[in-house]
Amino acid sequence: METLKYDLIILGSGLAGLSAAIHASTISKGKIKIAIVTKLHAMRSHSVSAEGGLSGVLYGKDNKDSLTLHAYDTIKGSDYLADQDAVEVLVNGAPQEIKFYEHLGVPWNRTEDNKISQRPFGGMTIPRTAFAADKTGFFLMRALYDTVLKSENIDIFHEHYATSLIMDKNRFNGMFTMDIASGEKKLLLGNAGIIATGGAARTYKLTTTAYSSTGDGIALAYRAGLPLKNMEFVQFHPTSLVPTGVLITEAARGEGGYLLNSKGERFMSAYAPSKMELAPRDIISRAIITEIEAGRGLVHEESGMSHVLLDLTHLDHKKISEKLPMIKEICIKTLGLDPDNDPIPVRPAAHFTMGGIHSNINGQVMSGPSGPAMANLWTAGECGCVSVHGANRLGSNSLSQCSVWGRITGIGAATYLMKKDISKYDESFSMKFAQGEEERINGILEFDGKNNPYDIRESMQETMDLNMGVYRDRIGMAKAKKELQVLQEKFKDIYVEDKNDVYNTNLRDVLEIGNLLDLSQVIAEGAIARNESRGSHALRENPKRDDKNWMKHTIAMNINGKIQLSYANVKVTKWQPEERKY
Amino acid sequence: MKKSILPILTYSSIIAVPLFLFIYAISYIFAAAYMYVPIQALLGISLAIFCISNGIELFVYKTGTKNVLRLSRHEVDQTKSTISHLVGSKSTKTITFNVKRFNNKEKQLELHKYKVQVDKFTSVLTALLKVKSHSDSTLSIRCSCNMGICGSCGMEVNGKPVLACETNVLKNVKEGDEIEISPMTGHPMVKDLVTDFDDFFSKHISVAPYLERKNKEEQYNAKEIYNQSNDDISKFLPYSYCIMCGLCLDACPVVNTNPQFAGPQALSQGYRYYADSRDQMGEARLELVNAPEMVWGCEFAGACSDACPKGVDPAGAIQLLKFEVMKNSLVGNAPDNK
Repeated sequence: METLKYDLIILGSGLAGLSAAIHASTISKGKIKIAIVTKLHAMRSHSVSAEGGLSGVLYGKDNKDSLTLHAYDTIKGSDYLADQDAVEVLVNGAPQEIKFYEHLGVPWNRTEDNKISQRPFGGMTIPRTAFAADKTGFFLMRALYDTVLKSENIDIFHEHYATSLIMDKNRFNGMFTMDIASGEKKLLLGNAGIIATGGAARTYKLTTTAYSSTGDGIALAYRAGLPLKNMEFVQFHPTSLVPTGVLITEAARGEGGYLLNSKGERFMSAYAPSKMELAPRDIISRAIITEIEAGRGLVHEESGMSHVLLDLTHLDHKKISEKLPMIKEICIKTLGLDPDNDPIPVRPAAHFTMGGIHSNINGQVMSGPSGPAMANLWTAGECGCVSVHGANRLGSNSLSQCSVWGRITGIGAATYLMKKDISKYDESFSMKFAQGEEERINGILEFDGKNNPYDIRESMQETMDLNMGVYRDRIGMAKAKKELQVLQEKFKDIYVEDKNDVYNTNLRDVLEIGNLLDLSQVIAEGAIARNESRGSHALRENPKRDDKNWMKHTIAMNINGKIQLSYANVKVTKWQPEERKY
Repeated sequence: MKKSILPILTYSSIIAVPLFLFIYAISYIFAAAYMYVPIQALLGISLAIFCISNGIELFVYKTGTKNVLRLSRHEVDQTKSTISHLVGSKSTKTITFNVKRFNNKEKQLELHKYKVQVDKFTSVLTALLKVKSHSDSTLSIRCSCNMGICGSCGMEVNGKPVLACETNVLKNVKEGDEIEISPMTGHPMVKDLVTDFDDFFSKHISVAPYLERKNKEEQYNAKEIYNQSNDDISKFLPYSYCIMCGLCLDACPVVNTNPQFAGPQALSQGYRYYADSRDQMGEARLELVNAPEMVWGCEFAGACSDACPKGVDPAGAIQLLKFEVMKNSLVGNAPDNK
């Protein structure tokens, strides 16, 4: 086992992780030693799949937009579960991020007078989503990755899987990692850490997310005894491609696409007459499921999946080629369907984890439900929960959030590390911990039980799809809880077929499945407790929002292997809760 | 938006650049002859010949059958026609996957056969993951996004380098309902279908693939956006779609015989940043690529552009870089370019 020492260890190489690295490096003038640990090649993180764009007010004077309006839209979109002070940080920081990416080489779409174009997005009153065709995330990722290459003080550990955080007395010491390519175990010691590993939508079967979106960082924090927040809020993207679940960007509706039911009606008029197809995602997802349940959906012949249609055929073909080229390419390559001529079959699929590691407004990880915040551990991006998205995220606010908190945490960590009197990692404690961890991982490699881990994953995902979906009911949720417990038990008796050290993805998958199982239980527990409907959590038995009893964040902690729930207040500054109508 | 920013090189620039250089070279020859400087006259003659041969080659390449930027349209039609005969057939089909797996202990490829049930939507990646989940968990595959944008799942299907996630199985089956899968043999192999990217990443770094500005402080604390028009964007946009999947290197005959050659991915990215009007590194970029194992290693086979799943045209980019290097070595950096 190799031991490597760093000042700052960043786990995850998506938008949040890479921005954190760049800003930490810049602010410290290259003086701190930074490690980026990623289970993929750094430039392949799931942020590349973000399509529609990044929200931020750029030309308020021209289009009557304002930071206050962006904040209001976000808070109303969150169904009043967002912390309003954090939302203000988001909207204040977002415009600068758009310019920052422009300075790194991102080819934002521009208007004729060379300004950055902005497109309409769901729940946004004014078009304020900057975009680079429908490959925004990809372009941002390439710009960040390429920029990271400039910094000599940043080492990238491609394809290293972190199996544990090393924590003692609320201090982060580093992490235990496995080099996937060689199977070598490495102990990474660091005086500060940033967790930026993204979401956990792979707890579901039909999902728009990458195979790698397994919430590893969230699960690692949870197992290390750190609190998670609002995990029951899982966003379902209204338009995933049937039958594969690949994301069809909201920008398709932003550019003028219609949602049609089997009668050819634009059914959104019954659910959100003023916003129509550009209502927030939770509302559209529920509308689609309601249409399908009322018999106004269509059935996909091959897969038997029910769906509605996303119609772009009335749009200018040139507009589709210029602004939605990837959508077109995906439809053609996977379905043999050209969106210029035929409507696209779509249905809601698991997309975004609104919850995550409980952090304060600076992205510092909280050590308990009400703090105190940890001095040397931060979290940024989808895996953290500040919370700015509350119960429902607005489209294109995710890229802003990743960038804004990537910067905040990177600067925060570097500033902390440049202080003289910080406490260093405890090397002997960490070594001891790492030895135990090495034995545990080697032990998993020897597993010779009777259950196939992939069957367990499939059962888990089906259970979540069926019972923890767009609409939830008490019987279903109770069933899910029971089923997940059974699967956890089964997971103790699995076999690992691949005993090879080199590029053993069987072992990595098993570790991921363990993470997903833990997180799906937390999702179920939080959902069962929340006796109201808010944002993405729609309870059939109680379709009303209950501000008196439930305008609060769910905090879940792992106490001796059991999930313990508690609650924290939502910060309200200027915007009092009101009925959410569009 | 008035100006199209589609990834298409205008024909005018293909003709204009060599023509400009040709005329320049001719005048250079006369000037050199008049002043009795034989070496420079020779240089002028060789540049003229270079311009003619490469100009013709590039023009043929851009207009002829090799045109990858049009290939996407061509692909559209092909996809449609192949898929259409399958529409309505609900049945699944059992396909034999002949997977050549790299055995990391024996250091050789071994053939494994798997039977997989597929329907008309099943991609090669989905099928292989099915194998991993249900029949052979030891099979190693690199994958992530499942939508052709992360660049993880490059491999060879029936000998052709492709992304497994956007390659349909039934469209690619051969006689006897079989399909051949192997790792990208043009890269060092790690295990099964997984190849090593260390070398590939170092090559990428060798061209300084990032935007350089004189005012670094301002670059990281952006106040105002840089002025750039849609016309400026269209000069580098076609080359900015690179997802670093490595398929072009796998296809490149030069890299396969001379591993020192930087290869199409890196060089196309060198051009991408050179052509970006916001970049201020200028001539230094051309010096980086003016070497035998850099642009001059390219023999213009065009295989890279055929292989690119995202319509980047690395072969075209390298030729444009060659012109820029030649132009720069004779006349310095033209002021209108930077």
